[in-house]
Amino acid sequence: MLKLFRYLKPYWWQVGLLILATGGQTFATLQIPALMADIINNGIVKENTDYIWQQGLIMLGVAVISAGCALVSSYFSARVGANFSRDVRADIYRQVLNLNLADTKDYSTASLITRTTNDVNQVQQMIMMMLSVMLLAPMFCIFALVMAVQTAPDMSWIIAIGVAGIIISAIVILGITMPKFKIFQKLIDKITLLTRENLTGLKVIRAFDNEGLEKDKFDKTNNELMRLNIFLDKILKLEGPLVNIIFNGTTLLCSWVGISLLNKDFTYLGDMSAFAQYVAYVMMSFLMLSILFVMLPRANVCAGRIREVLNIKPKICWKVETEGVPDKQASIEFRKVDFRYPGAGEKVLDDISFKAQAGESVAFIGSTGSGKSTLINLVPRFYEATSGEILVNGINVRNYARDDLIRRIGVVPQKGVLFAGTVKSNIKFGAPKATDAQVEEAAKIAQADNFIRKLPDGYAAHIAQGGTNVSGGQKQRLSIARAICKNPDIFIFDDAFSALDMKTDARLRAALKPVTDEAVTLIVAQRVSTIKDADQIIVLNDGKIVGKGKHFDLLKKCKIYQAIVESQLSEAEFKKEMRRADG
Amino acid sequence: MGRNSGNSGVIGARVQTPQKQGRKGQKQKGQAWVAFKRFLTSIKKYRGWIIFSIILAIGSVALSIMIPKFLGDMTNIAVNTYPEIDFGSILGLVWLVLGLLVGSAALNYAQAYILTIVAAKYTRNLREQIIDKIARLPIAYFDKHKYGDTLSSMTNDVDIIAGSLSQEITDISLSLSTLVGAMVIMLSISVPLSLVAFIVVPMSVVVVGKIMNHAQKFFELRQNTLGVLNSVIEEDYAGQLIIKANSHERESLTDFKQTNQKLTNITRKAQFLSQLSMPITATFTNLSYIVVTVVGGMFTIQGQITIGALQAFIQYVSRFNRPITEIASATATIQGLLASTERIFQFLEQPEEAPDLEPARVVDDVKGAVEFHNVDFSYLPDKPVIRDFSVKVIPGMKVAIVGPTGAGKTTLINLLMRFYDPVSGYITIDGVPTMEMKRSDVRRLFGMVLQDTWLFSGTVEDNLRYGCQSASLEDIKRAAKMCNVHHVIEALPNTYHSVISEDSDNISAGEKQLITIARAMVANPPMMILDEATSNVDTRTERLIQDSLEKLTHGRTSFVIAHRLSTIRNSDLILVMRDGAVVEQGTHSELLKAGGFYAELYNSQFAEN
Repeated sequence: MLKLFRYLKPYWWQVGLLILATGGQTFATLQIPALMADIINNGIVKENTDYIWQQGLIMLGVAVISAGCALVSSYFSARVGANFSRDVRADIYRQVLNLNLADTKDYSTASLITRTTNDVNQVQQMIMMMLSVMLLAPMFCIFALVMAVQTAPDMSWIIAIGVAGIIISAIVILGITMPKFKIFQKLIDKITLLTRENLTGLKVIRAFDNEGLEKDKFDKTNNELMRLNIFLDKILKLEGPLVNIIFNGTTLLCSWVGISLLNKDFTYLGDMSAFAQYVAYVMMSFLMLSILFVMLPRANVCAGRIREVLNIKPKICWKVETEGVPDKQASIEFRKVDFRYPGAGEKVLDDISFKAQAGESVAFIGSTGSGKSTLINLVPRFYEATSGEILVNGINVRNYARDDLIRRIGVVPQKGVLFAGTVKSNIKFGAPKATDAQVEEAAKIAQADNFIRKLPDGYAAHIAQGGTNVSGGQKQRLSIARAICKNPDIFIFDDAFSALDMKTDARLRAALKPVTDEAVTLIVAQRVSTIKDADQIIVLNDGKIVGKGKHFDLLKKCKIYQAIVESQLSEAEFKKEMRRADG
Repeated sequence: MGRNSGNSGVIGARVQTPQKQGRKGQKQKGQAWVAFKRFLTSIKKYRGWIIFSIILAIGSVALSIMIPKFLGDMTNIAVNTYPEIDFGSILGLVWLVLGLLVGSAALNYAQAYILTIVAAKYTRNLREQIIDKIARLPIAYFDKHKYGDTLSSMTNDVDIIAGSLSQEITDISLSLSTLVGAMVIMLSISVPLSLVAFIVVPMSVVVVGKIMNHAQKFFELRQNTLGVLNSVIEEDYAGQLIIKANSHERESLTDFKQTNQKLTNITRKAQFLSQLSMPITATFTNLSYIVVTVVGGMFTIQGQITIGALQAFIQYVSRFNRPITEIASATATIQGLLASTERIFQFLEQPEEAPDLEPARVVDDVKGAVEFHNVDFSYLPDKPVIRDFSVKVIPGMKVAIVGPTGAGKTTLINLLMRFYDPVSGYITIDGVPTMEMKRSDVRRLFGMVLQDTWLFSGTVEDNLRYGCQSASLEDIKRAAKMCNVHHVIEALPNTYHSVISEDSDNISAGEKQLITIARAMVANPPMMILDEATSNVDTRTERLIQDSLEKLTHGRTSFVIAHRLSTIRNSDLILVMRDGAVVEQGTHSELLKAGGFYAELYNSQFAEN
């Protein structure tokens, strides 16, 4: 939490003003009871009307000053709080975008989102609380204490009793309830989990006619939650009446002690109510601090989660300018590339070497976990090869400036990801300068033109956040169009055709042919039919290349490839394929 | 600020109210009233207890309200008997005040206690009603609504109610009775002084109310902007890879910064305005103190009231001040509360599935003859999806449903399972129309294995037993063995007692698929509905899945949403779907001969180049 305070640094003078104003406000507010006591002692008792008026005006002035200070401190606390959260949020956002897959792989997207939004809000609230309560409470406490002792030194021991009462009751109540709050949170989570299950499993639950079973499970947790809720509330609700007794009891004590001291000094008559007021302030500031202590751990957790993200050191450094002159002709080469996740023992990729020129296509196939996706992620440096070299157009990817490398590569991921905007803005995403004609051409090749034209606004049609208003297949085709529109040297299709039905898949691949003439195409696929025609098929198993060649070569030579093909075709078809391979 | 803590021990709770009220937004007056009445009806069951708690609150206030008066009396006695102070009478008053204090606190606690129990039971019942409702709503509801909304009702809205219901009833009843009590006593002390106080104090309420109204607009705006920013973040993080792959970081950051700045500006204004309420209230409180002290001082000098009475009166000014601001903030919280209850009630009012026919027909010993008779169906009234579709499936037949993505293959499944009912026409099982059977009976006739491998968090054993609660562990193991998943389960740390869940990663997607197949096997239904999933499963597991599915459909009437050529070719009947309608039906060779859509589809997919 404290480490995030450095974000307040640019606003130091505002924080300074804030502290000054808070001090002024505290001081002024505390003068009022003293002035009131003064009016009673010197004005009313001595029947001096002028004095009452005079002091009344002073009181008014003090009240106005206090209000002015409060205004200033409110303004700056709102300003500093808002700016603080803006800066933290922007830093997290920048950090997340700049980090690579290798850096963020330990965090889920959902958790990163929570850190950027919820956690920042929590910390902001805490900072604002601190800027008001944390500053106000101790100042209040100290000023009030001084004033109280000054007003009636003989009665100061009452303060100790009142404060002790507040602290003890807070400790007892929190001591009993705090440990149970964890259980409470767990039950709440369980209710959410069960509700989620009931919603996501809707069809399965009904198909098995298990609504009753689910209800029983839910009821059990629901009742448990209710019982704990009652237990916690029973204790927490003690606080109000207890604090009431302590506050009023202290006032009573002040009156009694004040009266018994009257014989010594008659001024106690006015002083005792002022004193009671000060004691109340002291106790109130302790109460406020105790609330802060309840909130602090939660904000601290949030602050910790934010810092965790901010502290990630990017593992990949880019050159500012590309070193060397890349070939005009597209090409790619892997030279003895190894990859392992940082800290992991086993290699994910082991001794990968292959080469492809413009117009050629390389397909990767293998079971899940064979390393296909990791392999292609090394090309745009989403991950960094542990050893070996990857050359794009004859230059090592490490020697490229980031934008220079990225503009040469068109990636189509497994999941079609779209952004809020229009169809056009999505296709132009990687090529901001593309003309409308280029956009439409790309869409045509991606077999997307047809459905785009059917949309209400055609290419200007709105795409909802996350592309939820187009179907999975359409999303995939748009993201293919996006890659085509970039006119890259290297196409990467990461299982990009799986959301398409086989017919569209075939048509699309036919249309792609002329476009990929000048480029290298890397394809990861599950379906043999998708990659059959590739110039080079690389069969991966446990991160190693176990087969390299054309479809029929591999059918003859590579056992693993045979198994894959066999699993996807019927027996008769498989036999036919094998015959063709031999023939 | 008064010396009395009032009834809310937690000051921080007050500090946060502006946000709360902003989040909920302002309801139209009329709507709010309707919502309030509905809320009252829903809580009717506890009416007696709530009234009792309000009476206790009034009692608690009645006891404590006299305390400053007695404290003033103490001063008066001291002043009047000075220098021979009558400590006896004063001590008597001290005991009286102490007694009142404890009595008032006890009543206060008793009423809080009652409301705690009422609120806990009320929220438990709300949760129960929501979960019941989920089970009774038609599937159509969830096809149209995001389940996140329902989930949010269950969590956020119920939490808001649980958090504020008892507190608000307590606050309002205590505040109102304090207000009335203080007024009465102030009037009894001095009518002219009371009039002075009554004029000053409500002014703060008016001003604060105006500002809060203004602030609320900003809070609403802030909430909306926050929503926009959240979705920007969500989208960009989810699409991080694409942003990087297209060097789009700078543009994305610029867009983000714009929204971020907008949020900052609005937050600043909203926070400032809401923070203003505290100093303004404090200033008006101070003002009323000053006026009362000065005017009261004059009255005292003129002998109209005593010093003790003046001191007591000053106390009542603060007691009179607090409830007004408290009621103002409580109404804001209550608006939020009503918005939450309203959302829940609206959900609870959604039309449910039509009740089953009474008496329902029962099919014993099902053979598995399924027939569609001239079925028409549409999700939307003017967009027919299935028109005049008839087919006859004889027992034991394997039916493959094929077609391109989005052709509406699941519609047929929805109709079979009675997740939806046909607009016209009907479906029979062994000659009995499914419409005349109980929905649950129809569904129990089918085993379902979907692409979406839903498992609940619980042990493997419980998950496998899901379709047949009476199954023994032996039955379960037998099914697991048949479905090639026994060895996988045995390899888990606690074998069949291992806990798995929807997103658990101790088993792979393919293994989850196998478990759902085994689950259907345990249930042992007379007919099967399958959705062949192929993606993301490695070759070996895929074979195991295929093999298990083979066993599962053996000898059973089964409907398969088919992707694999072998499945399609081996089926007894193929239903070809296109754009939501069944366009062709027949066997593989028949359809190929016909040269229609199926032939086209087949040739493009499977034929060699």
